[in-house]
Amino acid sequence: MIRRRTVMASMAGMAVTAPLVAGCSGGGGGSEAKAPDSGALDKADGETTVAFWHSMDGTNGDTLEKLVKAFNEKNSGKITIKPVYQGEYDDGITKYKAAVQSGSTPALVQIYDLGLQFMIDSGTVVPMQSFIDRDSYDVSDIQPNIAGYYTVADKLWSMPFNTSMPVLYYNKKLFEKAGLDPDKAPETLDEVGEAAKALSKKNDGPAEFGFNGAIYGWFVEQIIATTGELYCTPDNGRGKERASAFAFDNDAAVEFLTWWKKLVDDGIAGNTGRAPADAQDAFKSGTIGITLESTGALGGMKEAADEQDFELGVGFYPRIEKNEYGPVIGGASLYVVGEKHSDAEKEAAWKFVQFCNEPANQATWHTGTGYFPVSKKALDEPEDTKWRKDFPQFDVAIQQLDETELSTPTQGGTAGIMPQARKAVEEAWEGILQGDDPKEGLTKAVKGLQSALDQYNDSAG
Amino acid sequence: MTTTSTDASTVPDASEIPRRKPSRRGQYSSWLYLVPALAVFAVFMFFPLARSFVLSFQGNDILGRPAGFVGAEHYLKLLQDSEFHAVLLRTIAFVVLTVVPVIAISLMLSLLLHQRIRGIRFFRTAFASPFAFSVATASVIFAVMFNQATGVLNGILGTFGIGRVGWITDPHIALISIALTTVWMQMGYNLLVLSAGLGSVPDDIIEAARLDGAGGLRLQRSIIIPLLTPQIFFLLVTGTINSLQSFGQIHILTRGGPQGSTTTLVYSIYEQAFAYGNSNFGYASAQAIVLLIVVVVITALQFGLVERKVFYQ
Repeated sequence: MIRRRTVMASMAGMAVTAPLVAGCSGGGGGSEAKAPDSGALDKADGETTVAFWHSMDGTNGDTLEKLVKAFNEKNSGKITIKPVYQGEYDDGITKYKAAVQSGSTPALVQIYDLGLQFMIDSGTVVPMQSFIDRDSYDVSDIQPNIAGYYTVADKLWSMPFNTSMPVLYYNKKLFEKAGLDPDKAPETLDEVGEAAKALSKKNDGPAEFGFNGAIYGWFVEQIIATTGELYCTPDNGRGKERASAFAFDNDAAVEFLTWWKKLVDDGIAGNTGRAPADAQDAFKSGTIGITLESTGALGGMKEAADEQDFELGVGFYPRIEKNEYGPVIGGASLYVVGEKHSDAEKEAAWKFVQFCNEPANQATWHTGTGYFPVSKKALDEPEDTKWRKDFPQFDVAIQQLDETELSTPTQGGTAGIMPQARKAVEEAWEGILQGDDPKEGLTKAVKGLQSALDQYNDSAG
Repeated sequence: MTTTSTDASTVPDASEIPRRKPSRRGQYSSWLYLVPALAVFAVFMFFPLARSFVLSFQGNDILGRPAGFVGAEHYLKLLQDSEFHAVLLRTIAFVVLTVVPVIAISLMLSLLLHQRIRGIRFFRTAFASPFAFSVATASVIFAVMFNQATGVLNGILGTFGIGRVGWITDPHIALISIALTTVWMQMGYNLLVLSAGLGSVPDDIIEAARLDGAGGLRLQRSIIIPLLTPQIFFLLVTGTINSLQSFGQIHILTRGGPQGSTTTLVYSIYEQAFAYGNSNFGYASAQAIVLLIVVVVITALQFGLVERKVFYQ
């Protein structure tokens, strides 16, 4: 037994410390990389292999593999793209960091929206803009609102790959039962509140809850964008300077959370917590009137609606006032990695990015996954028009994207510690539902982030 | 499992027992036999431990690379950080909330299931079955049951006219819900160990106690439970360490929320090192060292205070 004690103690030590030595030391960042000479691929001998790390699993992963296969066949003998699933977005960026340290990065990597500023500061990527400028690549087909998110200081850093937006989902059957017009989605927070009131069991309505959505920091980012306010300053981190302070304790966010809290307090809205899956499950069960979710959830929602025998309605993400700006896109994008990769590899990665952007391939991507097509022309592809006949709800999403006016607020905020900022918003939100004052709660979160943001900016130089 | 083990090194004067003195060759070969085990320990335990220790005195750049020594800065920060103090208290609370109920419930169940009743085998298997569930599976199932809007738990409460409970969304309740999930998951294993212990209680002791007039509860309290104390002690020690290291159920059910109310030490280490784009390996390593100290101290206390009460046959 005595021997066992030391084993146990050291095992405990091992279990907790082993993962922390993920990386040791490695090469430095260095200055911004440029696209190589365009002839790099022709000069390369034999086949150029490009490792491609991504975070797409399930159906999305299958569709991605399909695109990769088509590309590899087309470029057989010259280029092979080797896709590797690296886990969820958070895992992906963690593994990328470790790879930079050990000098084993892939030449092409998919990183989520929140990682933009970090990827720029990592000093490891070749900005997409430098390929575009070199080849005078025609960007007119790229949806400008999508590209806007990945643009900092007028430079496109990565190619948007999978893009979604939040929309309002509602249950038409419950709307009818509550005496509401099932063909008209509520447009403002007040309208959503009114509809939810009529829908909820609390007020003798047909739904368990009139409204229920996840405590999801993304939603606060959206409402801020719709009113034209900023998430962080200066300029949402979109100018020459990095964002040096957060500003999400503004009126839009306060009004949104005050509204949300009142619905919960009145028993009109449920609170299924932070996990988007839990809020989705609740809505899919057919007992929730209205929810907010990403367009990426549309396929699953439609399927559940058919199973539970209700018709699914989709509307614009609600605004505080009518006719405000559109919301911000989310998702992930593709970065070409410069460090430790040959010119031929970079060039091959760029070739694959262009291939993905072709309208026909974007139609495959769009119909296979439900993510927005990056290419505007993709919507005219027969495959795509046919798909949207089955999913007319998706046209609402397209319309919302098209109607969004590109501006600093609708580009969305970007800062070095965006993932932490989103978490801080969610924690403040939880506190507000527990009785904290919305303004105070958000201001406290803003202040709490300052030292981490300063530290990041100092460290990034 | 013996309380006092005597080996050569503790004998006052080994030279008095010439038979025990190993030959030079024997010494070398015994080291040789140890090499594989030592190599594994060195690579997977001692090296990471030493590395963590060094990392805990270093800062990190945005990519997570060590960036210069910062002295004891991380440890001082831990001392001052009221949030970290809350994490420590919460971790201890979580251990108590899981280990005590698990052992109490599985002890009661194992005593009940030890009766010779027709069909008892079915119940033995059923109660031990949580052992076969992975953390992920169990957590996902509990997440569905805990759902505030559509979960079965609130459905049952509703039929009794009781309002909805935010099982994993109310900061005051979430830790208890995670503990509940953990208790359910660990019960199967505890039950198996205790049942095996019960099976090995010698019949003659029971027989003798019966002849002396002991029966029912008296027999269980004075004879059977004391004879089970080695198993109970084993479960206490392993259960505590298990519980200190709980991660999966927290990650799946609450991600440490709401408002950090389920962020235990291990989860806090994960958050600092890997989650939310963080790569504060230095600060996380300092927390890992604290965890190591906590584990060692608690385990030492258990051996120092509790083991004395263990009855070894």
